[in-house]
Order: sequence, then structure tokens, then C-alpha cells
Amino acid sequence: MITFIVRRLMLGVLLLWIVSILTFSIFFIIPKATHTSTAALFAGKAPTPAAIHDIEIKFGLDKPITTQYLDFVRGIFVGRHFDNGPDKTYCPPPCLGYSFVNNVPVWTEITNDLPVTVSMAVGAAVLWLVTGTAVGVLSALRRRSFLDRIAMGIALAGVSLPIYFTGLVLLTLFSYKWNLLPNVHYVGITDNPVSWARNLLLPWVSLAFLYAALYARLTRAGMLETLGEDYLRTARAKGLSERRVIVRHALRAALTPIVTIFGLDLGQLLGGAILTEYTFGFVGIGKLSVDAIFRQDLPVILGVTLFAAFFIVMANLVVDVLYAFVDPRVRYS
Amino acid sequence: MTAPLGVEGSASTAQPEAVLEGMGSVSGRSLGQIAWLRLKRDKAALAGGAVVVLLLLVAVFAGPITSLEGQNPNTFHSDLIDPNYGTPRGSFGGISSGHILGVEPVNGRDLFARIVYGAQVSMIIAFLATGVSVVIGVVAGMVAGYFGGWVDSVVSRMMDLLLAFPLLLFAIALVAVLGDDKAPGLSADNTRVALLVVIIGFFSWPYIGRIIRGQTLSLREKEYVEAARSQGAGHVRILFRELLPNLVGPILVYATLIVPTNILFEAALSFLGVGVRIPRPSWGGMLSDAAQGYFQIDPVFMVVPGLALFVTVMAFNLFGDGLRDALDPRSNR
Amino acid sequence: MLSLTTGQRRVVRATVAAAVLAVIAGCSSGSGGVVHGKSAGNVFDAGSSGIRDVSTKTGGTLNLIADSDCDSYDPARTYYGHCWVMQRLFSRGLMAYRSAPGTAGLDVVPDLAEAAGTASADGKTWTYKLRSGLKFEDGTPITSKEVKYGIERVFAQSVINGGPVYVITYLCPGGTNASGGCDSYRGPYADRSADHLGLSTVETPDDSTIVFHLNAKVGDWNYIMTLPASTPVPIAYDQSSKGGAKYEFHPISDGPYKFQSYSPGKSLTLVRNSYWQASSDPFRKALVDKVVFTVDSNDQDVDNRLISNIADIDIAGVGVQVSTQSKILTNPQLKARADNPFTGYTRYLAVESHVAPFDNINCRIAVEYAASKVDWQTARGGPIGGGDIATSMLPPSVKGHEDFDAYPDNNGQGDLEKAKAYLAKCGKPNGFTTHLATSSSAKGKAVAAAVQNSLKRVGINVIIDEGDASTYYSEFIGAPSVVRKKDFGLMVAGWGADWPTGYGFFSSIVDGRKILSQGNSNYQETNDPKVNELIDKASSTTDADAAGKLWADVDRAVMATATVVPMTYDKALVISSENVTNRFILQSIGGIYDFQALGKTAP
Repeated sequence: MITFIVRRLMLGVLLLWIVSILTFSIFFIIPKATHTSTAALFAGKAPTPAAIHDIEIKFGLDKPITTQYLDFVRGIFVGRHFDNGPDKTYCPPPCLGYSFVNNVPVWTEITNDLPVTVSMAVGAAVLWLVTGTAVGVLSALRRRSFLDRIAMGIALAGVSLPIYFTGLVLLTLFSYKWNLLPNVHYVGITDNPVSWARNLLLPWVSLAFLYAALYARLTRAGMLETLGEDYLRTARAKGLSERRVIVRHALRAALTPIVTIFGLDLGQLLGGAILTEYTFGFVGIGKLSVDAIFRQDLPVILGVTLFAAFFIVMANLVVDVLYAFVDPRVRYS
Repeated sequence: MTAPLGVEGSASTAQPEAVLEGMGSVSGRSLGQIAWLRLKRDKAALAGGAVVVLLLLVAVFAGPITSLEGQNPNTFHSDLIDPNYGTPRGSFGGISSGHILGVEPVNGRDLFARIVYGAQVSMIIAFLATGVSVVIGVVAGMVAGYFGGWVDSVVSRMMDLLLAFPLLLFAIALVAVLGDDKAPGLSADNTRVALLVVIIGFFSWPYIGRIIRGQTLSLREKEYVEAARSQGAGHVRILFRELLPNLVGPILVYATLIVPTNILFEAALSFLGVGVRIPRPSWGGMLSDAAQGYFQIDPVFMVVPGLALFVTVMAFNLFGDGLRDALDPRSNR
Repeated sequence: MLSLTTGQRRVVRATVAAAVLAVIAGCSSGSGGVVHGKSAGNVFDAGSSGIRDVSTKTGGTLNLIADSDCDSYDPARTYYGHCWVMQRLFSRGLMAYRSAPGTAGLDVVPDLAEAAGTASADGKTWTYKLRSGLKFEDGTPITSKEVKYGIERVFAQSVINGGPVYVITYLCPGGTNASGGCDSYRGPYADRSADHLGLSTVETPDDSTIVFHLNAKVGDWNYIMTLPASTPVPIAYDQSSKGGAKYEFHPISDGPYKFQSYSPGKSLTLVRNSYWQASSDPFRKALVDKVVFTVDSNDQDVDNRLISNIADIDIAGVGVQVSTQSKILTNPQLKARADNPFTGYTRYLAVESHVAPFDNINCRIAVEYAASKVDWQTARGGPIGGGDIATSMLPPSVKGHEDFDAYPDNNGQGDLEKAKAYLAKCGKPNGFTTHLATSSSAKGKAVAAAVQNSLKRVGINVIIDEGDASTYYSEFIGAPSVVRKKDFGLMVAGWGADWPTGYGFFSSIVDGRKILSQGNSNYQETNDPKVNELIDKASSTTDADAAGKLWADVDRAVMATATVVPMTYDKALVISSENVTNRFILQSIGGIYDFQALGKTAP
């Protein structure tokens, strides 16, 4: 078991390393491809050539790409010094660089916007996991009933609706037309927990609707498949109550893959729910990263991509380990 | 299963591959005949299929259809707009006999014509991208499944890597960097379309790749493959003559299921502003314009493209689901 | 105690009212505390020409808001109009704009200086005398040396970058080099002299006198001294670890308020500066006790807060959102509260004469006639949210603006016949294809679509290339070599004068000698000898009215080159809370409310 975990961990680190190299090189090439000067982006509204040159020195943009990459990696663990003589700055670890646009450490920007993304993701996740699986299980148990058909119909609609449309419709109705949730904007949980929840209600519902629909369909399919398995027939033949058959055997087998996928989905969402954030005007990691791409704010792009990849890799790792506990065959693959 | 790739709702689209097992030989009616009979009985799937056909016709005959209404999708009709508000004069977004779905805010472009041409954009990009994914995915999947060993490892890791990436972010970045370039022989407009097709197709192939790999893995142990090998058939021959024909079923099903995902992917890119070039209409782009604030004062402008997306995706989902169930004798519907 | 009869009371009231009005309407110059300009009623756009809710009530907290933070609070590093208005709260320089609505607000008055700078006969030497008793927020005295040091800082472009560099252009000993930098003086951090005051072109013969030796005749020097860079900076503090690039996190105040706390990108709190004296100040009254500025990135939320009186003023001043505009214009109470000032920007289409076929003037003139200014105006928000149709380059707020139309086009609809005629003249009777650069903002895309549509009417095919809004001017169209390489025949542009004279408007955008390789503002590379000659003539004229007439000539000459197509004189629809007093628009700096003049009715 330990070797399995260690192996997976090393694989995860390797993956992160590859992601960092890939991202670094791609976004190093972008300014060359678009004929923009990276240092000039840092120099503000009216960049003078002298300012640009000195900024290049300060951020090491004149060094070869391999040196820049190594400085970057080192910065993550021990921090980094930026200076060009009179202008000295120290960036404490984990130093992911300074944003080109507003001269703030990338790590600070990420930690500023992370609460928004986490609030959105976790809240929606709880909502969709509970609703989606419950509906899926019930539908499977009452297969072909009226309830089943309606539920699956709604689920199909749910996966067919783009989230920004759902979000816009909910905003139009609940925020503008009926004024039930006026002025939706992000409020920190520490500032005002009630307001925090109230403002996140619409994003939660929009996100959860999409995923719940997905999970309902998945759970139902999984349940139906499990319910038809031979070993359940044996269990029934042994005299176990239907309830025990379902809860103890069917449910567990059906839900295991669901939990796996849940981990992956949540991990991905923690890297930024871009479309949802744009729809509701919330500034989370998603919006931060997209804005950074448009502005070619390389340090932020790098930082966020690594951050997002980290979450995904961690999620994969946790899921793999959990799966290995449940199914020993996996450990030896 | 459909959801925008790489972003809200993706990992859970991995279908339990077991569903497609057991597609062995049948006596009496051919597989195709049985499938067709089952499909015919599925009313919902037929409805979906009918809508799909309708959409394809609309996409192909966009020109003649809009000339029936007598409008052009790109011409401004500023006289139909109230300049102080930017909204169409008249109610319901300016619906009139000349403009059966009203006009867009600010520029007064005919909404019906833009929806029709938007269908063309969605269909072209989604189908071509699906084509790209299918070609890459089938080849990669077959090669990985058939040869196994390190070839399989490499291809599988590549698929894992692609699925772990924040795909939407990378797609945005690629379009942002390469978007203004012009390919020789193509207009600037069509270059962008080609770029979108390649990017979307490239990021979707792991889905098909995974399925095909699984299928190939189980098929390669079949007797007829062994027979062919003992007769001295080379690898290529076996791949194309023996395996590929038996993969047509799942290829068809999953291609159909990938199309709506690609439609939503293109819509998401357009929503974020990196879709087709101005003034080409795209449903996602129209929703983006609506989200800027017009949806509060001209809700028709938001509802129409949103419904168009919804109906299209739902139709493909219904038909795809029906197709998958029709081709699987063990399905539990 | 005698009680007054009703009639007597009425007379008393009227007399008092008349006295108050007399005080307000009168313009006693120089004394602190008097507000210039007439009082305005509660009607739409009253704040553009008058002062709303005149009041002397003190106390309360002013709640400012915007969707993004200022580029910098270091007076030498900020380049946004609304940030210069923020500077009036805590940075006083040699000169400042009079605090008054309408054209009175375009005048400059001495702030730290006792009187406006006096020029020598050749217009190259300017002398200022400082008031006495001026102190920084920590009680240390302000002398001419600190003013000189503040100006020297601009020369250290590797550290103190981001702000206007006019002082480098005119004070670099021996003149600037080819790329506009100063090789002979590199700023006070590289300064070899012990007191860090090594800039030889600025003299401080005594603690209250400062003399500028310019390398050219600059009639507008008093205007240049209103730029925040003439704010004094304490030398020892700036040379310490808290200064230099870090100075922007706590600039030392010489104004009525000082920094209490600053969280970059999030919020700024200012409290009273006990060392500021109203008697030494030409116009500041410092009514409120505290100023709190918060960043709220959700534009819709900003508008909602203003309307519901949670926030007082949106400092960015670019106008409300589309749906808010609709709300305001349909609600009489909200409409009465709103103002609709000119922002001082002219929005125009730059036509690159180095990109074919625009090297032929007739093709450029064809665009002048074919482009639809009305559609551009609607795309930017219509007559109220977008602005007035422009037929010349100088905006209405600048002296020298004259109403003339070099290319009459059916009131902005476009004259397609003339356009086609000129197309034939330049050898492209069936049109041609070109690229149009625009910013990726909503308005940027909307106006680009409008241009594309209107030029299509005469066969000109426009391919739209978008650049990110935050780097559009500095990067996307700011390097002529890149513009030519990417074939940008047309570019969506906008410009607001750095100070409201013809020179402040024209010098960077149409002067052929000011085409920079990076950070260029003459996007279309206009380089016409007649234009350049007229610019030189006008900028060395010291009489404002005579100069104004010459700038109008520059305008006509520029239009004759057909390298720019003026589209709109930009306007913004703005609203504030109901709890602010003394609200009026300062025309000189971007059509923004003068924050330092505001008071509160309720805390």
C-alpha cells in the first residue's frame, strides 16, 4: 500500500513538473509570437525605453529561458529577490512572481481570489452530490415510473443547458424581475455569513443544477447495472431483505465510481469555475486566470495554472488512494 | 454525456465502459437491424433525431432561409434602435413583420438571421471538430489497445495529461495567441474557424480515445482476430479489416455524444470572447453580449440564443442516448 | 425680546439669502474656503455648470468607490485623470486647477506657490516663490528643495515610472536623447551629489524660490506644474527603504488629508492632516473628516451602491452600466440627480498613412466620408452615454475648439457618394481590405463592428483585430513597427489632453516629431510639415486667446491630412449618492467630480 501511495505521489510531482515546464515555455513564446515586450507590459500607461530596460533587468527577463525557469522554481521554495539597483523587492516563499499588471505578488492575488472559488465550488459540490445521487438512486429504484421519467427528463435538460444561460435566467428572474436576491455580488464569509450564503445562492444553484443532472444520470445508470448483477440475486436468494440488498451491496458498488468522479470534478472546479464567475461577476481564480491570459500577465498565468494543476493532481491522488483501499486489484496495476 | 470540456462538468462524462460489452455476433437479424428496430421504438430519440436533421438543414440552407425573411445577419438597422438606451424600439426586443425575432440591441441586426447563421457556425465547427477528435481518438485508441505495452502506456498517459489540463484555459490562450494569424488560402474569418475546429477537436479526442482503447482491448482477443493472424495477416490489415468494422457502433455513438459537447465548447469560447470573428454570429457570442447588461432591459436577446443552444444540445443528447441504448442489447432502460 | 412679524421675517430671510448668494457667486481669488461658481438646482446635468447642494457643513466620511484601484498614488507615477483628482486630497504642487465648475475650472491657480510662475523674456526661465509656513504631514517644513527633489524623481524612470515625463523633456540638461530619455541626469537615486539635488536645470537660490531653466520655450509651463509631479517629496524619507518604488504605498502628504491605511487593489483610508492650514490653500475646504476608497470589481454592484447611497462617488467617472443608464433615464428622481459631463476625450479613428492603401490621401478621405459617426455614437451609449458627434479633433472643453466640418457627411450618417468618388480617385473603386485594431472591451468591440458595417457600404472590407483593454494603448497600437507589421490601416483611438490647452491635446498625438518607438501616442504617425510648424507657433505663444486661435488652425491642418476621423466628443452619465454636498464637475481633469470639495449631509 505504501509503495502504491509513494508511486502515485511521485507521479503527481512529475506531472506538476511537466505542467510547469510546458506552461512556462508556452507563455514565454507568446510575447514573441505577438510581438509584445513583456517588460513593457509592466511599465504602465506610458512606457519609456529606459523604464522598460530597467524592468527587464529587475525581473530577469533578459536572462536565458532556462535560467528564468530555474529562478522561478527556486523562488517557490525559498523566495526571490528582485532588484535593479535602487529598486529592491523581496518576494517571500511561495514566490510565484509579481503580476505584470498591478505589481502585487502572484501568491497574494491567488489567495485573495481563492475564497471566492472555494466558496462557490464547495457549496455547489455539496448540493449536487446530495441531490444528484439521491435522484439517481430513487430513479433507478423506481425505474420507468412517472417520477423516473420526469427526473431523467429534467436531468437531460440540465446537461443540455449552458451554465451561463442558466445563470443569466436565474439572475433575470430572481434578481431583477422579482427582486428576491437583489444585487448579487461576493461577500466574504468572515464579513457576513448570512449575506455570503445569500449571494452565493444563485451561483450554487446554477452550478449544482448542471452537475446534479450529470450525477443523477450516472448514478441511475450505475445503480441499474449493479441491481442486475448476479451477486445481488444470490444475496436475495440468501434471504436478505430488499433494503439490505440495496443499501449494503448495490449502493456501495454503484456509488464508488461516483465518488471517484466527484473528486475529479471538485478538483477541477477549485482551479476556477470560469464561466460561472463571468456570468455572476465574481472575481475568483477563474476570472483571474482568464484576465491574465488576455493581458499576457505571464507570472499570474503560470501561478494559476500550477495552482489549478496542483488541485487536480491532489484530487486524482486522493481518489486513486481511496479506490486502492476499496479495490485491492488497483494497487498492483 | 455532455458538458463543456475541461470546465464545469467534464470528468464525470466517463461512461461505464461495461455498458458496451457483449456486442458479439447474433444469429437471425443483423445487429444493425435490431438496433434500428429498437431506435424506432424510442420516441424521445426519434424526436431528438428529427430536430438534429432540421438543424442540419437550417445550417446548410441558411442563405435561402434568411432570404425568405428578407434580412441579412450583419446589416445594422440603427433606425430601429433607441439611441439613449441602446434597446430596440417596440416591445419584445423589436419583433415585427420584417424582423420575426426582433433585432439586437445597439446595432439593430436581425436576430432571426443571426440565429440561423449561428446554427451554421455551431454545426460546422462542432461537426468538423468531432471529425478531428474521432480520427485522432480512433487511431490512438486502436493503436494503444492493440499493441499494448509501452505504446499503450504512452498514449494512456497522454490522454490522462490532456484530461488533467485546464482545457478551457489553454484553448483561450491558444486562440488569444494564434487568433489573429491568417492561414494561406483562407480568409481571416475562416482561419479562425479552422483554428477553433483544430483546438476543440484536439482537446476532445481523449474521450473517444479511451472508449476505443477499451473496446480494442477486448476485441483483440476474439477468435477471428487470432484466425486472421494465423493466416499471416499484418497488423495494419488486422486493424483496418478486422477491428475497425466492429468498432463502428461505439464510434458512431460516441461521435454523436461528443457533438453536443463540442457545440457547448465553441459556445463557451465565444462567450468568453475568443470565438468566431466579428461580425460572424455565434449563439455563445450573443449570450456574451446579452450578459454585458442588455439582458436586463432586453431579455428576448438573451432568451432566444440560449434556447437555441439548449434545444440543439438536448436534441443531440436525446438522439445520442437513444442510439447508444439501441446498439446495446444489455441496456437497462 | 421682540419677535419679528411675518413680513419682517421674510425680508430678513431674503437679505440673508442674497448675502449668501453674493458670497457664493462672487469670485474672491486666493482666499481659502470660498467656493467658486453658481449654485445649481437639482436638475439633470446641473453639476456640469454649477455646484449642487452648496454647504459648509463639516464632518462625516466620504465613501469613494471604483472597479479598480489607481495605477499609483505616487504623485510622479500616476497617469489617470481621476487619480490626479484623488491627488488633490493629499498632494499639493506648485500650481493647481481652480476648484470650480464650467470654464472657470480650466484656469490654473497657484497652490504651493504664492503666485503663478513668471517667465523670462525668452519664455525659457520660469520662477516661482513658495508660500511660507508649509509643512508635511509629519511637521517637517516644505522648501523649494523638496519640490526640486520631487521633480528629479521623475528622471529615475527605472524606479519612478508610469507618470507623464514632460519634466524630463524640458528639463534634461542638454536635451533628451533619440528615445526621449535623459542621459545627463538619471534621477536622485543615481545622483552623485550629497544632497541628491544634482539636476542643474532647476535652481533653488533660497528655501522659498525655485527657478526652472527649460530647454525650449513652453508657454504652458504653469499647466505642466499642475501635474502631480510638482508635489514636494521629503528627501530623507524617499531615500530610505520606505521610499523609491515603495513611496506609492504611503506618499507623504502636504494636503488636507493623509494616508491612514492602504491595501493595494482593495482600499485606501485618508484622515485629516493636522499640519495643513486652510489659510495657505487657494480653494480646499476639507469638509469631511475621513475619506474611504473601496475597490469593487463588479461594475453593476458599483452602480447599485451609488444609487442606494451606500457609496458616494465612483471616482473613475467613465459612466454607469447599460442597465443603470436605462434606470436613470426612466426615473425622474434619479435623472435629476445625475450629471452628464464631457470627459475631455475625443474618440476617433486613426488612419495609418504608412499602411496601404492609406498612403494615398484619397483613400483616407473616402473613410472620412464613409464612416458612420452616428453608429459609433450609439455603440458607445448614444448621445447621453456616449457623447456628441465630433467634426473636429479639439474637444469643446479646450480653448481653441471651433465648430467646423472638413468632411460634411449628412450629420454623421456618412456621405456614400463622396466616399465612392474618392475611392475611385485613389484607384480602388470597388473598395479594398484592411485591418482595424480595437480594444477587447465591450465598447471597443461595439464601435469596431459599427465601423466595419459602415465601411462595408462602399466596399471596404474591415478585419477586426482585438487587443486586450489594459494594454491596448501602451502595447497593441503603441509601437509603430508592430502596427505596420500587423497591417493596422485603421485603429480605434481616444485621447484626453494631459492639460486642457491645445498643446496638452495635440502635442503627443499628431506631432510628427513625437512618434516614439514604444509607448507612442501618435498612433497614425501623422507627420505633416504644416501641422508641425503650426504646433511650434501655437505652443510658443503665451497669450491664451491668441494661442487658442492658432490651435484651431492646427486642428484644421490636421483634418486636412485626413489621418484622423474624429467620431465623438466623449461624455459620461454619472450619478452619486444623495448625501454629498458641493458636487460639481471639474472640467480640466477628465470631467470628474472634484472630490476634495465634497462634503456630507449625513455621516
